[in-house]
Amino acid sequence: MKKVISKILAVALAAMMAVSMTACGGGSSTAASTAGSTAATSAAGGSAALTFAWWGNQVRNERTQAALDLYTEQNPGITFDGQFSEWADYWTKLATASAAHNLPDLVQMDYKYLAQYVENGLLLDLQPYVDNGTLDVSGISESILDSGRIGDGLYAICIGVNAPAMLYNKTLLDEYGIKVKDNMTMDEFIALSKEVYEKTGYKTDAGYGGGENFIDYTIRSQGQELCNNDGTAFGVSSAEDFEPYFAIYENGIKEGWMLGSEIYAERTVGTVEQSPLVYGSSPDTMSWCYFAYSNQLSAYQAAADASNITIGLSTWPAQNPQLADYLKPGQFISATVDSKNPDEAVKLIDWWTNSLECNQVLLAERGIPASATVAEELNPQLDEMTQKASDFVNNVVAKNCSTISPAAPESSTPLLDMYDQLQEAVCYGQLSAKDAAAQLFEQGNAVLAG
Amino acid sequence: MDKVKTAKRKQTIGQFLNRESVAGIVCTSPFIIGFLVFMIVPMALSLYYSLCNYNILSPPTWTGLTNYIKAFTGDARFYKTLGVTFFYAIISVPLRLVFALFVAMLLVRKSRMSAFYRAVYYLPSIIGGSVAVSILWKRMFAMDGVFNSILKVIGIDTNFAWLGNTSTAIWTLIILSVWQFGSSMLIFLASIKQIPGSLYEAAEVDGAKKPTQFWRITLPLLTPTIFFNLVMQMINGFLAFTQCYIITQGKPMDSTLFYTVYMYQQSFEYYNTGYGAALAWIMLAIVGLVTAVLFATKKFWVYDGGL
Amino acid sequence: MKAKNRMHNIIYHVLVFLFGLVMIYPLLWMIFSSFKPTNTIFATAATLLPENWTAANYATGWKGFANVPFGRFFANSLFISTIATIGTVFSSVLVAYGFSRCKFPGKKLLFSAMLITMMLPAQVLMIPQYLWYNQLGWVGSYLPLIVPYFFAIQGFFVYLMNNFIDGIPRDLDEAARIDGCSFYGIFARVILPLVVPAMITATIFSFIWRWDDFLGALLYVKNSAQYPACLALKLFCDPGSSSDYGAMFAMATLSILPVVIIFISLQKYLVDGIATSGLKG
Repeated sequence: MKKVISKILAVALAAMMAVSMTACGGGSSTAASTAGSTAATSAAGGSAALTFAWWGNQVRNERTQAALDLYTEQNPGITFDGQFSEWADYWTKLATASAAHNLPDLVQMDYKYLAQYVENGLLLDLQPYVDNGTLDVSGISESILDSGRIGDGLYAICIGVNAPAMLYNKTLLDEYGIKVKDNMTMDEFIALSKEVYEKTGYKTDAGYGGGENFIDYTIRSQGQELCNNDGTAFGVSSAEDFEPYFAIYENGIKEGWMLGSEIYAERTVGTVEQSPLVYGSSPDTMSWCYFAYSNQLSAYQAAADASNITIGLSTWPAQNPQLADYLKPGQFISATVDSKNPDEAVKLIDWWTNSLECNQVLLAERGIPASATVAEELNPQLDEMTQKASDFVNNVVAKNCSTISPAAPESSTPLLDMYDQLQEAVCYGQLSAKDAAAQLFEQGNAVLAG
Repeated sequence: MDKVKTAKRKQTIGQFLNRESVAGIVCTSPFIIGFLVFMIVPMALSLYYSLCNYNILSPPTWTGLTNYIKAFTGDARFYKTLGVTFFYAIISVPLRLVFALFVAMLLVRKSRMSAFYRAVYYLPSIIGGSVAVSILWKRMFAMDGVFNSILKVIGIDTNFAWLGNTSTAIWTLIILSVWQFGSSMLIFLASIKQIPGSLYEAAEVDGAKKPTQFWRITLPLLTPTIFFNLVMQMINGFLAFTQCYIITQGKPMDSTLFYTVYMYQQSFEYYNTGYGAALAWIMLAIVGLVTAVLFATKKFWVYDGGL
Repeated sequence: MKAKNRMHNIIYHVLVFLFGLVMIYPLLWMIFSSFKPTNTIFATAATLLPENWTAANYATGWKGFANVPFGRFFANSLFISTIATIGTVFSSVLVAYGFSRCKFPGKKLLFSAMLITMMLPAQVLMIPQYLWYNQLGWVGSYLPLIVPYFFAIQGFFVYLMNNFIDGIPRDLDEAARIDGCSFYGIFARVILPLVVPAMITATIFSFIWRWDDFLGALLYVKNSAQYPACLALKLFCDPGSSSDYGAMFAMATLSILPVVIIFISLQKYLVDGIATSGLKG
């Protein structure tokens, strides 16, 4: 019996070694050429089967697949396996595939995860392709292009420009003669929130559950950075710098105009149709505003139609709007190091960026095309809401903003949850703004330091 | 093994295969192969990860027991989620079993409607953990949800936020678990049917009433099934994942954060995958201990004889 | 006496029926919601019946995603669930028989191993399993979703069957042995027919669990056209952009149908199983 056990162990150990060795080997991924999906063939004749993974809803899946089909039509020999998933599933799937170095050729990337994937060497550096002319980025403004740079490499190309946008219930505010102006300061916003609450009973949803976004915005407006350059510590020097952020919630809850945390526990936070902006059975469970991004306007308006609400958009409030506001690369497209056909993958990125035809299929659903020329030509063909969002980005934000903060370092991933948790604790009255700020400063710095 | 091999030559193959020990191994061979091929390597790998610093995206680096030490000494959420999970398992499992047995007894009775009833009572378990359930359940217990409407009908006018309160939110998950009692019920139904009708006939002759029959015949003969359900549901209770993951995500204030969901967050959201693996192995030890205790009590209350 | 019995009967039916209504209320809510215009689902969540009935959700849902009709996803699910279930049920009953009726060296150890595989949270094995299947060249196919189930890797089913086989009197084995049956003959002629209710139970469970298993499909299926329904259902809801709850509820409603059909068509074997008649006398 003992012999059997030791044999089993030996076999298992050997197998384990084999697996972990290839897992660490890097690049030497065995292509899965089984059932249904064919592995990449030689790129010589411009023929290849590429996999492209993205997250999104029905509309995006439809349009993206149509764009890829169009590309296949124009470039016979290049075929695609489109893999679409829901946001959370997408990152699970991608991470798991990366463990075996089995990533799709092309992936849709988010600013939140960019640094992490680059720091682990999973994304292809596109700079050489820009240099040899395969990838034309001349239409993209320097600051947007830079958002895809980490160190000396260019790892991601923006495929939709957005900006932070405060969506609000215009129908409600018009009814009470309340005006919202762009580039509000924080004090003006709080005064407005109180006014709305007193007149209408509607409360305020100020970036609840939005992770790092609003805290980053607030810190920026104080002229500081959330994380330092190498991601080893916060960019602020003391816990007090976090206090104004938490104080908004502490005071708002105390004074009654801030929407309580309970309401979010019964919604899926971030889901358009369940947002207190568009859904609720009474004013005290609803919000007059929501901190979103400009490309979400269409979705919110569609959801608001059910209750005959018109959605307006303005900037997020900040102590200093010019310092705080920024243009945001909504999504990126990246090629991965696991691609067998990097040349063909990059060609698709080029087409995506510069082809009007392609963008006529996609119709700026991910945000304004990064290439200024394409964006301009495309604009008349967009629907009303997308145009409204695009006007907002170009005419309101672009004129009064600073460069976006560098992509969050890998070390800060565990913090994403910490921001939300401390915010929740403040809203539940379990922590004062002061204590929350102190905890964040101490624990966050510890996490960042590793 | 070697002894078996030498013995083989002296017998015909048929005789050899019909030896009790050989038959046992032949019959269980699918599991032996499955275990060796599909389970042992992944399990060993995850044990290895638990001793490493690993973020999925890059290869693991050996750190010894650091992850385990961190869990026990430096992680308040570890204890918090462990507490939530124990509470959930200890409350929901017995409730679910009693409920399942009760309904099974109700439905075992033959009538024209029984097929329909069984379907109705089993339906909630069919939809399992789909996205639909997550929305559905939140709507049921929302401030303006069905549950509060029902309370209003019986005279309690409230718009209490059941999901938003740190002490009631976990109960909505417990109710969900009890609501989906169907699998235990089916197992009870099948084993009630396995009890020989002759026993009841004999009891009738002796003049035993229905309740007596239940306590004297049905329940004792069901103890092996009860034990089975108890062990399985305990394991499931401790490893519960879906309800929390799709409905509450631990909200509010971690009051519903199941251990496994926390483990999943560590692995796939914070990319502390090595730490997540350590959490899993700690859970294995806990569940193993609980199961061992249950098995140790088996001889005191589980009927163990042929019929 | 008769009147009293009838009274009892009525009370029984009323109670069971009313309570059943409470049980399936949430389901009814889902089904009726699928007939509401999709953007009114949340606004009218408090009322059960739709004001304006519409089948539009079924039409949009059925359209599926990116030229893959939803019917395709159902077909994929049906294929995976059926094959994996057949594998699970037959391999499990055989293994359970081995555990229940044979003494052999290492049995206790093996049984413990089976229990232990159930105690490790499945999520922790996602990555190691992926690496292993990748090593076998199975990633991108249905193999990881099907083949392992032919090897009784779900301890639950083995233990379940084991429990049922333990409940079958050993006298029956003895009688068969005297008639000249081998261990395998006893399994096929005596045990298998008697354990049908347990196998039916296992079939129902296994089918539902395979039908609901989106995690495996998420990791291993490469092409969207090969997604099973449970994974496709999630695609209707994307946080951050528009979700189509109407279509999701519509397809969720359709997706419980196969399971309901299986349950209804199998449940009579469950209850009027051969076991009772076989064991009498």
